[in-house]
Amino acid sequence: MRVAVCAPQVPFVRGGAELMADDLVGALRARGHEAELVTIPFKWYPGTRVLDQAFLWRLVDLTESDGRPIDRVIATKFPAYCVRHPNKVAWVLHQFRQAYDYDGTDLGQFSDAPADRATRHAVERLDGIALGEARRVFATSRNVADRLQRFNRIESELLPHPPQALPYRTAPPEGFVLSVNRLDRAKRIDLLIAAAKAEPGLRIVITGEGPDRERLEQLASGLNGQVEFTGRVDDERLADLYARSLAVYYAPVDEDFGMVPFEAFLSSKPVLTTADAGGPLEVVHDRETGIVVAPDAAELARACVYLGEHVEDAMAWGRAGKAIAERVTWDACIDALLS
Amino acid sequence: MKVAYYSPLPPSRSGIADYSALLLPALRERVEVVVAEPGRRAPSADIALYHVGNEPEAHGWIVDALQKRPGVVVLHEYVLHHLIAGITIGRGNGRGYLDAMERELGVAGRLLALGVLDNLLPLLWETQPERFPLSGVVLDQAHGLIVHSNYVGERARAAGYGGRLWRIPHPAWPMAHVEPATDVSGDPLIGCFGFLNMNKRIPQLLEAFAAFRRGRPGAKLLLAGAAGERFDIERRLERLGLTDGVERLDYVPEERMWSLMAACDVLVNLRYPTMGETSGSVIRALSLGKPLIVSDVGWFCELPDGAVLKVPVDEYEVPTLEAALGLAAEHGASLGAAAREHIGREHSLAHVADEYAAALGTAAGADAVDEAVLWRIAEAAVDVGIDDAPRLARAAVDAGIVT
Repeated sequence: MRVAVCAPQVPFVRGGAELMADDLVGALRARGHEAELVTIPFKWYPGTRVLDQAFLWRLVDLTESDGRPIDRVIATKFPAYCVRHPNKVAWVLHQFRQAYDYDGTDLGQFSDAPADRATRHAVERLDGIALGEARRVFATSRNVADRLQRFNRIESELLPHPPQALPYRTAPPEGFVLSVNRLDRAKRIDLLIAAAKAEPGLRIVITGEGPDRERLEQLASGLNGQVEFTGRVDDERLADLYARSLAVYYAPVDEDFGMVPFEAFLSSKPVLTTADAGGPLEVVHDRETGIVVAPDAAELARACVYLGEHVEDAMAWGRAGKAIAERVTWDACIDALLS
Repeated sequence: MKVAYYSPLPPSRSGIADYSALLLPALRERVEVVVAEPGRRAPSADIALYHVGNEPEAHGWIVDALQKRPGVVVLHEYVLHHLIAGITIGRGNGRGYLDAMERELGVAGRLLALGVLDNLLPLLWETQPERFPLSGVVLDQAHGLIVHSNYVGERARAAGYGGRLWRIPHPAWPMAHVEPATDVSGDPLIGCFGFLNMNKRIPQLLEAFAAFRRGRPGAKLLLAGAAGERFDIERRLERLGLTDGVERLDYVPEERMWSLMAACDVLVNLRYPTMGETSGSVIRALSLGKPLIVSDVGWFCELPDGAVLKVPVDEYEVPTLEAALGLAAEHGASLGAAAREHIGREHSLAHVADEYAAALGTAAGADAVDEAVLWRIAEAAVDVGIDDAPRLARAAVDAGIVT
């Protein structure tokens, strides 16, 4: 089958969504399909620009390429799923959350001015049109599915995606808590730094890059080597950090899903998250596959200390997580997406 | 975003006043609302929302305000002849009535209106308003239109309304436990609530109930609501031998109405001809999970088949209604469960308030948004030699990017 995987791309930014699209193309090719990533640079501001981006996707003709038909389009994010194709499947990793649950919060983009309100509702209307055209709509997490239902009244099927392919392994924990995430305010890495401040014995390693790095480094200054920023690391180094960590911290604000919990689990590590983290709570179960705490630095610090003092529990919860992660396979995903 | 809100409000006794009393607190959680009052200066706001019904006393000042400043109109019923007559002839402005009739029906409409003004023809708003709805007067000023049914939306389109249109369901009252009234009873107890007149098919209901009661002598019919002028209900009851089988109550306050409805086994809400109205009584009945019988017309026929029994208005109306009373009494549980499910899905107050906020946001700002997006698209198109602006705009609308 000839499959176009459609995903937007924010130039110079690479995160879970980009990895997922690349991995999907790779998994399709590995199963004998002709697959190609189709992308358009995405800039969603200021104001109404987000609608221009949707319009660009509407203009793209993917019915055929070089005289041969494209059999299936799989789109993963807004505005890529605005593309028109008779066999479009939406595998929704993200809607444009500034128009939905972020609206009216610090993470939102639209003010109370009439033009901003109208733009926010235009995105909602457009989602209804674009996803309504899809022959099937999958959501990568219950959180995403619930949002589609709540805001757009669109029923979707739950289809989590497997994490990126790394040389996963495990090793005895070396006592540090690992954060793997884009350095972005919504990812709430400052909470982990605050926990380190509250617990001088706690060591943390923060991987990734992003616009919040400078602020986070300032927050961590004076912590006497408790906090290490590695920047972006290659696959081998990342797998090594996972393998040697005590636990993995992952607590964005109401995240749709994120691959980090599964990556931690495949390294047999438990995950530390918060009760308001959203999607991760679908697989991080308190004292079964990790620890779930209130979004509070002192509580998080206590959870880290507990894991340090109960390494056997940490390892057992990591193994339980691994059993969950191993059930999510590309074979199952591709069967569903192409059926 | 600030919304100027025009509507009758309690203590005004009208369905639209009840509607606004229900909607306003939920809407205020989503947008800033300033309520306009008759006789006061129009509040400044980003957009105005006008609730329009057919009563000149309740809605005349709202149409006056609409004519000064176009805005979003909530058309609670499609037929507005009584309203328009009230704010034209009723204010000594016969010319305004002639103009409204001419807008509706051309020269023939103007001639008919002249006949009415000269007392050569009966008052059309009393005899056949559904043939001359006169809603065009309001639609011409609507910057956006909110309707509760496809029926009204389609009629507005057919009348030439080409602007933005949203169908937003009538909100349901949040349900607390309702204690059924204990001073009414019947086996079964059938209830009919609201203003009682020919439009509500009360004669047909009484006939059907009389026939039904012959097989179910324990059955009782509760008629709660003021009776219309020239509608002698007592004489009809005597003629049908129903003086024992029917309980009459005049206007009942809200709380009492809920408890009376909760005591009923079956509720009936018939209508013909329809003025395109929705019914708060129907929403209340469905919220209570009561089996409900309605006429198969207008908004009522858009209710889901599994949740209500629909009686066509035809020569078999009375026997069909009699059979429906039996069916409703027998299958009350399944009809009631479907009714509750429908109300929860379509009519929840939060959902309706969200839809209002979306409609108002779009109405207030979409023109500016469309213009900005179209301008950029056009700029890019011109660069590659395409300068047919109308075609570009149509393409953007077809693509769903602008409205």
